[in-house]
Amino acid sequence: MKSWIGPVAVLLASAVGAHWATLQYAPSVIMDRALTTLKNRGVAKHAFTTPQRITPQTQVVVRSSPDLFYSLCRYDLSEFDGTLKITMGEWPDYQSLSFFDGSTNNFAKFRGTGKSVSVRLVRPDLEYLDPDAVVSPTNRGVVLIRRLAPTQEAFDAAAEAAKGDSCGPMRS
Amino acid sequence: MIKRGVIYLGAGLIGAGAGLASALLMSGLWSTKEPMEFGNINVDGWVSDFAVGSEQASPYVRARVARHGLLALAKSEAVYFVRGTDSEGRRMNADCDYRITGSSMPALWWSITLYNTADSMLPINDDNALSVDATSIVSEAKNWEAVISTERPEGASNWISSRNSDGFDLLLRLYVPDEALVEDPDATLLPPVIERLSCKGDAA
Repeated sequence: MKSWIGPVAVLLASAVGAHWATLQYAPSVIMDRALTTLKNRGVAKHAFTTPQRITPQTQVVVRSSPDLFYSLCRYDLSEFDGTLKITMGEWPDYQSLSFFDGSTNNFAKFRGTGKSVSVRLVRPDLEYLDPDAVVSPTNRGVVLIRRLAPTQEAFDAAAEAAKGDSCGPMRS
Repeated sequence: MIKRGVIYLGAGLIGAGAGLASALLMSGLWSTKEPMEFGNINVDGWVSDFAVGSEQASPYVRARVARHGLLALAKSEAVYFVRGTDSEGRRMNADCDYRITGSSMPALWWSITLYNTADSMLPINDDNALSVDATSIVSEAKNWEAVISTERPEGASNWISSRNSDGFDLLLRLYVPDEALVEDPDATLLPPVIERLSCKGDAA
C-alpha cells in the first residue's frame, strides 16, 4: 500500500501544476497568437490601421461587433526607450480608447464622446521619465479605438474621423 | 529501481495530462460545441461575469475570455451578456426560427449579435443582418421585437440572420452601462425574451 503513496502524490502534484500553468499562461499564449494574426492581416505596429467594416468575411478577432468601427495599433515598447503617444481624434458619437496588455488585460480605457483624447504610454522601467503616462504592464500589447458605427454611412464617417488618430513614438 | 522510476514517470505524465485537460475543459479552451455562457451573474438566462477585462477575473474567466471574447472591455465601459438557449432552455440552432422581444435597456447603447457557438465567429453569410442595436431597431412603442431565422421573414422590420450557422448564441452588449446595472443587474436589467416559433420538420 505504502509503495503507491509516492506515485499518487506525484500524479496529484503534476495534475495541479499542469492545471495551474495552463490557466496562468493561456491568456499570454492566446494574445501572442492574436498579435501574430493581426500582424499577418496587416495591422501596423506603432500606427493605427484603418479597418474594414466587420463582416463575416473580414472578421479577425472573435466576437467582433458589426456595429462598431475598430481601429487597432500594435505596440512593442521594448523597441525604443521612450514614450508612445496615442491620440484618438474627435467623433460626435460614442468612442473609446482602450489598452490591452500581453495577457489580454484591459489595463486602461478612456471615453471620448465628442472630443479628442491623447494619452502617453510607457513601459514600467521608464515610468520615471513620464510619471503622468499610462504604464503598460507588458512590453507588447494592443491599443484599440471603438466608434459606434452601425451603418455603412456611419462607418465611412468614422473612417474619416480616424484621420485624426495617431499612435507612435513621441519625438523629443 | 528502474521499474519504480517508470511508475513515477508514468504518474507524472498522467497527472500532467489530466491537469492540462481539466484546465482546458473548465476554462472552455477545449473546442467543444458547448456555449460560452459563463459567469456568476444570471439574469433570466442571460449570463455575464462583470470581471471580464480586468485582472480581478478568475483564471478560468480570463482564459475563456481570451479564447472567446478577446479585447473585451471592463465593466465601467461595457458589460456583456450571453444566451445560447430559448426561453424554454433549448439550445438555439438554425433549424428553428425565434422571436426575440425586449424593451429599453439601462445603457448608452446596446446591441444583440449572433455568433457561432463553436468558434465564436459570425456565421459566414452575406445577409448583412447579424445584429440589431439601439439605433437600428424599429419599434412603434417602447417595446421591440426581432425575428431570428435563415431567411428574412416577409414584413419583418427587425431581422437577425442565422443562415449558415450550426448552433449559435446571442451576445448582448451594453455600452456605458448605468451604474445601477453594474451594481444590481437582477433589479435593473429587463433582458430580451427568446421564443421559439417553429422548426424544420414541424407538422404543418
